[in-house]
Amino acid sequence: MKVLITGLGVISAAGKNLAENLDSLARGRRNAGAVTLFKTPLTYPVFEALCIPDRFCIEGRRTLGLALCAVDEALGNAHLEGELSGLRAGVCMGTTVASQLNDIDFYSSFRSMDRKEGSIPMTPVDRYLDGNLADFIARKIGARGPVLTVANACSSGTDAIGIALSWLRGGLCDIAIAGGADELNRIPYCGFGSLGIVSQELCAPFDRDRKGLNLGEGAGVVILETGSSALRRGIASGVQLTGYGSSSDAYHLTAPRPDGAGLKRAIGRALEESGIGLDKIDFINAHGTATPDNDKVEGRVLGALFGNRIRMASTKGYTGHTLGAAGGIEAVFTAVGLREGWIPGNAGFRTLDEEIGIAPVIGKTSIRGLYALSTSLAFGGNNAALVFRAGD
Amino acid sequence: MYILGIGLVFAGGFGIGQFEKALEGPWQRPATDNSGIYSYQVDLGTITDKGLLKGLRRSDKFSRMSVLAAADAVASSGMGSIEGKKAGVILSTAFGPHVTTFGFLDTILDYGDANVSPSTFSNSVHNAAASYIAQSLNIQGPTMTITQFFHSCQNALQLARLWLKEGRCDYVLAGAVDQYGDVMRYIYDQKLTPAPDGCIRPFNLKPTYQVPGEGAAFFLLGRDPEEGAFCKVGAISIGNPPEHEESADVTIIDSDGMLPDESAYATSISASPPIAAFSPFFGSMMIGSAFNCAAGAVMLKRQRYFANPVRENPHDMNLLDGTGAANIELIRCVRYNCHGEKAVIYLKKKDNYENDKR
Repeated sequence: MKVLITGLGVISAAGKNLAENLDSLARGRRNAGAVTLFKTPLTYPVFEALCIPDRFCIEGRRTLGLALCAVDEALGNAHLEGELSGLRAGVCMGTTVASQLNDIDFYSSFRSMDRKEGSIPMTPVDRYLDGNLADFIARKIGARGPVLTVANACSSGTDAIGIALSWLRGGLCDIAIAGGADELNRIPYCGFGSLGIVSQELCAPFDRDRKGLNLGEGAGVVILETGSSALRRGIASGVQLTGYGSSSDAYHLTAPRPDGAGLKRAIGRALEESGIGLDKIDFINAHGTATPDNDKVEGRVLGALFGNRIRMASTKGYTGHTLGAAGGIEAVFTAVGLREGWIPGNAGFRTLDEEIGIAPVIGKTSIRGLYALSTSLAFGGNNAALVFRAGD
Repeated sequence: MYILGIGLVFAGGFGIGQFEKALEGPWQRPATDNSGIYSYQVDLGTITDKGLLKGLRRSDKFSRMSVLAAADAVASSGMGSIEGKKAGVILSTAFGPHVTTFGFLDTILDYGDANVSPSTFSNSVHNAAASYIAQSLNIQGPTMTITQFFHSCQNALQLARLWLKEGRCDYVLAGAVDQYGDVMRYIYDQKLTPAPDGCIRPFNLKPTYQVPGEGAAFFLLGRDPEEGAFCKVGAISIGNPPEHEESADVTIIDSDGMLPDESAYATSISASPPIAAFSPFFGSMMIGSAFNCAAGAVMLKRQRYFANPVRENPHDMNLLDGTGAANIELIRCVRYNCHGEKAVIYLKKKDNYENDKR
């Protein structure tokens, strides 16, 4: 079954919509800075999306606002604004922050409350209970098909798109709104800091002297649609989603498997579903977090599978690591790369790491191929890969 | 899709054997905690097989319950191990490892942003438990954590069916896990009505009373009917009304006090087939559907009815009130969410395999 991408939406530190993001990527603009969204003594630079249009801002629920912004753009792109009621449309979204009740003010009040006599404001709890990401989006846009929130750490967005692909192929719906969203939040900011994988400088994916990741925030959403549905609606696409692969390292909670066997399996499955070999992939949007371990394992796998001349780049130098949103945002960038015939340079890269043996592209690069790959590696040892194809 | 094995961790014990024993009855009132509040809490200290737990020394209770239930599902299938097979994991949860999340917030509040615990943070991530399952059982296929407040178990089974159908996996360990804790108790008490005597009355429907529970229930699912399988999983519908409601021998409803008004269940109950609700065996949980499905699967495998543990019946429903041998072909498991949307899972007797294949 042919599955088309009929809509794209994105918001990140690089811009509040696809056009602004592409402009930042094309110009090599990196909108990073100190944290402004919460108070913290830590000084790691971050990529904040300080451009959320007012109509999408929801008090205390930043992730939902980011998601709504990207969904709105993607639906508009697909000519689906206000048109979902009669359609079999599902919503599958990935997140990390929005899946947790981690309101520090609420918890602080809870700790200090007299349990027998006292009570504390329940607004944060109500927001949480009403804020399951996919459920919230589905109700907001009137989607009546399957609804699922994926909480698979940094591969959540990619996995959400992969699950949506299965829904379409399995006949559960004709259209799926899929991707990921995550806000910059104090909890993972402290947590990632404690793991020693956050850089005090701007991140430099795949660079020999990389010092770690920068956290970011945003949302990336694709509208997946069966070929027959798109035909019925008279919508042209320009890009297809042809394959998804997912695997577990079954190795360690926080470290990737050194031989990259899990990532290889995920890529292999995505290629197999697409019915193509390694040689058909023209470029790769790599996970490339800029942590020493991730980039070493991922870069080596990509080099071993595709050869060291494959055109490859991480876009985290423009968006930061947006956790559950990353797979969604990077799927959008990969699809646009195929459609528009160019990919951005890998911001921050200067020096080849001999241990990796493969260098990303360093400037805006033209591409002409039919297929592209987007990879995600996640906490917990998850690996996920999506294959896209140019043309309808 | 077939249920080949079932693994459970609940307040009443560990394993399908303990669960069956509980289903045989009689109902026992749950314990109270230090504050005198009734709850169904899992005591992992009573589990004598420490083999698996040895590899989980740094994990939290949420992950331990998950791994134990998942491993038990494999063990109960008689397969011994699924290592080396094309297998995947789907862990569904309403609230995730919130106790560990709050533990991490403790380290921020007590020691400051720069002095937090990395291992507490790692274990607070939603997919840590699924990762521990994959590591413990050496499962290298897709390993997914999904989170919904309602219908998470139904979504896990539906996704497992897709993975099996498209050849992504030959086996899927799909399950549901949730944990109880101080903060959740406070929230439950604020939002719902605690049962003052520790008794969930599933057929009251309105008003409802909850007694919080915790636990993990996993199903080993396969494409083919294998020796010892519990039952077949038939149609699953979530949110939208099923295309056609089949006439079942038993309807199991998930009423457990987790909705302030559970009257919707009355609308989905037809006059003749008996109704069952087993929440008084494991407690009120958003993921209670998984335990009720497990009860249905056991009924089909054993061809045995299990009587309702609590039979107060103000609406004069046709309750399943006797335990004993029965001829059961089809069980309908029903769950409503707070928007009145229904999810249904049909479980079918395994004798129908040949017919099903045709």
